[in-house]
Amino acid sequence: MSSWQAIRLVMAREIRERSRSGAFITSVVITLLLVAAVLFLPLIFADDDVRYELGVVGEGNQAIVDAALALANHEGREQNTLIEVIAYPSLNAAERAADTEKVDGVLVDGEELVVRGAGGDAGSDLERLLQSGARSVQIQGLVAEGQGEVVGILTSAPLGVRPLSGPDPAENAERSVVAFGGLFLLYMAVLLYGSLILTGVTEEKTNRVVEVLLAAFEPWQLLAGKIIGIGILGLGQFVGTVLVALVGVELTGAFDLPQFPFDSVVVLVLWFILGYSLFAVVFGAAGALVSRAEDAQGVVAPISLVAVAGFFIAIQAVNNPTSTLSVVTTFIPPVAPFVVPVRFAFQAVPLWQLAVSAGLTVLTIMVMIRLAGRVYLGGLLRFGSKVGIREAFRSAEL
Amino acid sequence: MLELSRLSKRYGEVQALDECSFRVERGRMLGFLGPNGAGKTTAMRSVFNLVRLDRGSVSWRGRPVGQEERLRFGYMPEQRGLYPKMRIGRQLAYLGRIHGMASSDAETAAGRLLEELGLSDRIKDPLEKLSHGNQQRVQLAAALIHDPELLVLDEPFSGLDPFGVETMTDLLRARAASGTAVVFSSHQLDMVEDLCQDVAIINRGRVALAGEVRQLKMDSPYWVIELETRSRAPERLGRFESVVSVDFDGYRYRIVAKKGVDLSELMSRLDLGGDVRHFTFSAPSLSELFREAVTR
Repeated sequence: MSSWQAIRLVMAREIRERSRSGAFITSVVITLLLVAAVLFLPLIFADDDVRYELGVVGEGNQAIVDAALALANHEGREQNTLIEVIAYPSLNAAERAADTEKVDGVLVDGEELVVRGAGGDAGSDLERLLQSGARSVQIQGLVAEGQGEVVGILTSAPLGVRPLSGPDPAENAERSVVAFGGLFLLYMAVLLYGSLILTGVTEEKTNRVVEVLLAAFEPWQLLAGKIIGIGILGLGQFVGTVLVALVGVELTGAFDLPQFPFDSVVVLVLWFILGYSLFAVVFGAAGALVSRAEDAQGVVAPISLVAVAGFFIAIQAVNNPTSTLSVVTTFIPPVAPFVVPVRFAFQAVPLWQLAVSAGLTVLTIMVMIRLAGRVYLGGLLRFGSKVGIREAFRSAEL
Repeated sequence: MLELSRLSKRYGEVQALDECSFRVERGRMLGFLGPNGAGKTTAMRSVFNLVRLDRGSVSWRGRPVGQEERLRFGYMPEQRGLYPKMRIGRQLAYLGRIHGMASSDAETAAGRLLEELGLSDRIKDPLEKLSHGNQQRVQLAAALIHDPELLVLDEPFSGLDPFGVETMTDLLRARAASGTAVVFSSHQLDMVEDLCQDVAIINRGRVALAGEVRQLKMDSPYWVIELETRSRAPERLGRFESVVSVDFDGYRYRIVAKKGVDLSELMSRLDLGGDVRHFTFSAPSLSELFREAVTR
């Protein structure tokens, strides 16, 4: 039997058995429910209209209110603003109404706005709204032109902005969405599925089925199959969740999705796979050291810390994509998958750096698998306690 | 034929195996005996490359054992265990496949074995739903699924009830009869004597005695004389040159004596006055050979 056949058998078993387990199905359902909740709950509870009650006293108020509404509800706004106007015979009556919160504010003779104390609950929104309405009325008086014109001027950006050099700022924003999004997704995937891989590798030891398996397989074949199997399952669940979220976003219009620059996405996907695989293997190797699930936490922490470090180094690379730290960490495998996509988004990374970085990461993955296999065999025959790396190496005695 | 040749393995202070050599013939069963900690498990693991030997080699039909050879071996480790949540039919088929069987063959073999073990109606149950005894049966099936040429079983009878023991012995006998080489370790010497043509007795990592059981018995320098009597007189024997040990449990004597013992003198010394109900004169049992070998 070739190594690949052996790995494929182990992998297929992992995927098949795990995907039928109740725990896995529950976790998939819960994740999807959470995603749906995040996307749809704001829609259910969203109040489409912003509504104010405004008291008016005297003349010249309606023009301001009309202008304010025209500005607030100009085309393209998602929320509808309504102002209910209640006329009062006297200022006293109107102020009482404001005081008892019957109205949010009182507009007097088109010249004064009475609100409840500083920061009263008329809020600055209503005030801002009426101020711009009043401004609009004033300009209108000056130019004696159509109201629509004034609204157009006040709601547009009359100066075109042209950057001196560099990429289109809009595209830059999209690139940073890709970089940050990718960074965050990798970080989440590593933290969410790392310990799953770790405990999964420990499973055979806990069940003590490992001796039967190792009588047929080489340890590294068993490990590789397990890590790839659980890795694919975790990745599938993760990608599925992200896709559902994207489709949901598209359907509900909760956010506007930018157009993703193609090269950024390619680099992101490639490094996501590399990074995820590397961490999967490291977690797998850590799982080879422990024989009980209770011991797992102690080895999860240091690995998670590396992921956290990678995350923060990548964040600093946003501002300093060519700093020494950014360049050096491009060639340090556990950190590179975080840093490279960010650097790529904000600055062209030389192709040779991409190639060397990817090569080093792949090499590390392969070396780690072999090393983990060796540790696994060393730790295997000592059930019970956690086996130190050195001790495991010694007893493997290759 | 499996040949373990001069295996040596040291764990820190402990010499687990010390030039340990013996062979297992095809179509025969070998009982692998020794006190706890003698090195039995280490020797069996070395067949499957689970132990990195300091010295020595394991060969099958004259060739060093590698991964290809090991796929044709069946192993039941001392540490029992399978996947508790996996359906037993699928589990056995998987174990068949990892030993190189095609998917359909593995499934057929799993079905047939479970039927042989009386578990065919449980084929879709996860292992953990089975009783302890039935789990043990599945464990045995796991070692047999790919119809191995060599079976290595580490204390296969421990934890089995009499029915389990019977199933196990029947299966092992059948396999050996069809040409499989079988080696198993055990502390149940009577059962080994009953089942095995060959034994290897190991003590402190060294083989103390090995060979065909019948031959070893014949070669033994002792005889065992058993006789039943109502006459309670063990002390009458006194000091008797050729007698090694005398047990008397109230009505039955068990006397181990050197081969040249003068039987008529022995009987006259005992002076039972014809009150003898039962008399046998035989080679020592495996238990006696074992005790002799490991205390030497």
